Amino acid sequence: MANTVIGSSIVIDGEITGDEDLVVQGTVKGKIQLKESLYVEASGVLEADVETQNAEVSGQVTGNVTASDKVELKSNCRMVGDIKAPRILIADGASFKGNVDMDV
Amino acid sequence: MVDTAQSTVVGPSILINGNLQGDEDLLVLGRVEGSINRTKTINIAESGIVKAEITVKNAVVSGVVVGNITASDSVEITEAGRMVGDIRAPRVIIVDGARFRGAVDMGDLEAPRASGPLPQRSADRPALVNSSAPAPQAQKAPAAKAPAPAPMKKAIAPPPPPPAKKAEPVRAPEPTVVMAGAKKLKKKVVVKKKSD
Repeated sequence: MANTVIGSSIVIDGEITGDEDLVVQGTVKGKIQLKESLYVEASGVLEADVETQNAEVSGQVTGNVTASDKVELKSNCRMVGDIKAPRILIADGASFKGNVDMDV
Repeated sequence: MVDTAQSTVVGPSILINGNLQGDEDLLVLGRVEGSINRTKTINIAESGIVKAEITVKNAVVSGVVVGNITASDSVEITEAGRMVGDIRAPRVIIVDGARFRGAVDMGDLEAPRASGPLPQRSADRPALVNSSAPAPQAQKAPAAKAPAPAPMKKAIAPPPPPPAKKAEPVRAPEPTVVMAGAKKLKKKVVVKKKSD
C-alpha cells in the first residue's frame, strides 16, 4: 500500500513526480513524471503530459504519454494525444485519437 | 486497495508541485508543495513534507509543515511533528515534543477579548469629557450670549440679557463645584468673583 493514490474527489493542478506507482481516480492537470507505473482508473481524468515507465489507462487522458516500457489503453478509456513507447496495446472498445510512435 | 480507494495517498517518493483540492482524506507520506484546499482530513506522516497553504477540516501533523493551516475543525501537531507557520482553527492541539513556530488563532476567543477593553475606553472618555467640558461651556455660554444680545437689544427686550449675564456666571461655578474633577478651576473662578 505504498502506492500513491489520487482519490476520486481530488483535483491536482500542477506537477507530480516520483519513483513509485501512481493510481489516479481523480483529476490531475499539469504534468506527471514517474519511474514506475501510472494507472488511470475509470473515474480518473488526466489533462497532463506524462512521462513514465508503464501507463495503464482506463479513464480519460488528454495529453501526450511517453513511456519507457509500455502504454496500455483499456476498453472504455478515452485518450486524445500522442503516445510514444516501445510497446503499445490498444484494447477493443478504447477510444484514441493521436499519433503512435513505437520508435521503430 | 480497499483502504486506499477511499482516501488519497501521496506516497513517500512522490512530489506534487501545485494545487491540490478535493473532498476526502489525504495521507501525505511524500512531498506536496503549493496549496491544499477543501480536503476533509490531511494526515501528514513522519516522512511527509508539506510546503503549502493548507485549508482543510482537520489536520494531523506528524511530519514537516512549512506554511499556514486553516482548519474548520482541528489542527493537531503530534510529538514527531514540526511546523513553521500560522494555525487558524477552533481546536488546536500541540503535543509535548512537537516543534512549532508561528501564530495560533482559535477565533472564538477574540470576541470577548475585543469587547473587554472597549467598554473601559468608552467609560474613560465620557468621564473626561464630563469633568472638563462643563467649566468651559459655562464660561463660554455667557460670553457667547453677551455679544449676541447686544445687537438684539434694539429689536427685542433689552432687559432679559443683563440679568442672564449676572445669573449665569453665578450659576456656572456652582455646577463646577459639584463636579469632582474641576477643583483647580473652582478656586480660580472663586477668586475672580471676589475681585469682581
